[in-house]
Amino acid sequence: MRFCLLLIIIFFLNQSCGKQANVLKIKGSDTEVNISVLLAEAYFSQNRHTPLSVSGGGSGLGIASLMNGLADIANSSRPMNSEEEALFKAKNIDIIPYVFAYDALAIITHPSVLTDSLSIEAIKQIFKGDITDWQQLGLEKMPLTVYGRQNNSGTHDYLKKKLGIEFSLHAKEMNGNAQIIEAVKVDKGGIGYVGAGYVLKNGKQADTGIKILKVHTPSSKACSPLDYDAVMSQQYYFQRPLFQYILKSSYEKAKPILAFERSETGQKIIVSNGYFPIKK
Amino acid sequence: MNNRLRVRMDKAFKVVFRIAGFACIAILVSIFMMLLYNTVAFFSQIKPLDFITDTQWNPSRHFGLLPLLASTLLVTLGAMAIAIPLGIGTALFISEYATGFVKNILKPAVEMLSAIPSVVIGFLGIVVISPGISNLFGLSNGLNALNGAILLAIMALPTIITVAEDAIHAVPMTVKEASYGLGATKWATVKNIVLPAAYPGIIAAIMLGMGRAIGETMTVLMATGNSLAFPTGFFSSIRTITATIAIEMGEVPFQTTHYYGLFALALILFLITMAVNVLAERMANRIRKFQ
Repeated sequence: MRFCLLLIIIFFLNQSCGKQANVLKIKGSDTEVNISVLLAEAYFSQNRHTPLSVSGGGSGLGIASLMNGLADIANSSRPMNSEEEALFKAKNIDIIPYVFAYDALAIITHPSVLTDSLSIEAIKQIFKGDITDWQQLGLEKMPLTVYGRQNNSGTHDYLKKKLGIEFSLHAKEMNGNAQIIEAVKVDKGGIGYVGAGYVLKNGKQADTGIKILKVHTPSSKACSPLDYDAVMSQQYYFQRPLFQYILKSSYEKAKPILAFERSETGQKIIVSNGYFPIKK
Repeated sequence: MNNRLRVRMDKAFKVVFRIAGFACIAILVSIFMMLLYNTVAFFSQIKPLDFITDTQWNPSRHFGLLPLLASTLLVTLGAMAIAIPLGIGTALFISEYATGFVKNILKPAVEMLSAIPSVVIGFLGIVVISPGISNLFGLSNGLNALNGAILLAIMALPTIITVAEDAIHAVPMTVKEASYGLGATKWATVKNIVLPAAYPGIIAAIMLGMGRAIGETMTVLMATGNSLAFPTGFFSSIRTITATIAIEMGEVPFQTTHYYGLFALALILFLITMAVNVLAERMANRIRKFQ
């Protein structure tokens, strides 16, 4: 709702002030919005002549805005799907994909859950809805509630594809990463998934009200998204590139900020806020 | 001011007010037409029967109205179960029992209740009611239909109280005095004279309150968990029609089946609220005749 409102306000603002027509609009992805804002601020402090506007929503919202002509750059934590590609093609809109950072997806629970790690198989069953009580995993009896994102979320989509499952219909759909963290904090049987940027700060856990689980596959040891080296050497199971899709017609305008994001300063900001740098 | 100018002014204002009146109707009709147009586009891609009978809403494959409609009705009925006794009780207290100071405080207080923005009430649901429900019923969390119902009851109360109070107030003093004259107690008079006489107005109050509850978006979006499963009771997490439109409208590319589907939902919502409001209006007209 608030995103729709924001859209409408931005739309009218654009209509009313013609001078602002050269604003570079970046939209979408709740996972990326925080880092995107920080990068934009850092960039803007050095280059005051390019007005920028950054807003969140889901990845789907960003891509839809790009399609509907309401944004120049769509942040997306998932690659574009074939349906969207077809729509862009049908509308004759050319876009350029760009990766500026990596993200590790953290599986979080309430601190009272008596385990520090879960296997991929267990995570699959939990999100599918086959496990509805922690007892089924040999832990203390406590109803298990899944807190996830809505289907406009790239994170939701990524996890669905990575695990090859359909989410349980009983999963609660929250508006964003921050809401998932708040919900898991107060639910003793809660489990959820959030972008690492929401739980990491300078390489440490930012919030003490939740537990970040380690994840293990049949072939590897348990890895935590807090472990920088493990993520960088691709040992952590849930990691993904963070995309930006740029309108070809706005590419010239966007070029400097894209370059800034991959520059040393940009990558430093990315790392200190819990995301992971692109490998050179 | 000369006479000619006066006549001109008079005519000009007549035109201005006429334009204002017709603009209102034009807005209503054009919104309805827009909903209808997009709904027709939707039904050219998805069979109406599937829309009505599919028990799952999961766009791109399933466009089932039922779970959303059931959620909306569940939370509205729950809200009414709480708001009707509370609202009519308050209305009776204000118009029949309360005097002086209390009455002077209570009436504006009720009106102020309706000034609280819905996000604030939704926030209340997350921070206060949700933990309350989970403690009281031993659940792991309180983001469910009951939470939504309590919040919607709070939001429907001002409407119900104000309209019901008007209806009760409109019962002529002479009728009540006749009852007292026959030796009836206050309660007997309220039960046998006041309530039956104000009945159409009270039904109108309930209907208007219900219309308010059905159309509310932000509060239910925040407090009910929004899970897509078919609701099984007040403790299940639900997703109403309004919340679905609000959540999904931002992400759909224009002119796709999903986009049209949201308009079909909006049309259903429009029809439900309109039916409720028309009924309320009819009931309200009856008390006007009674006066």
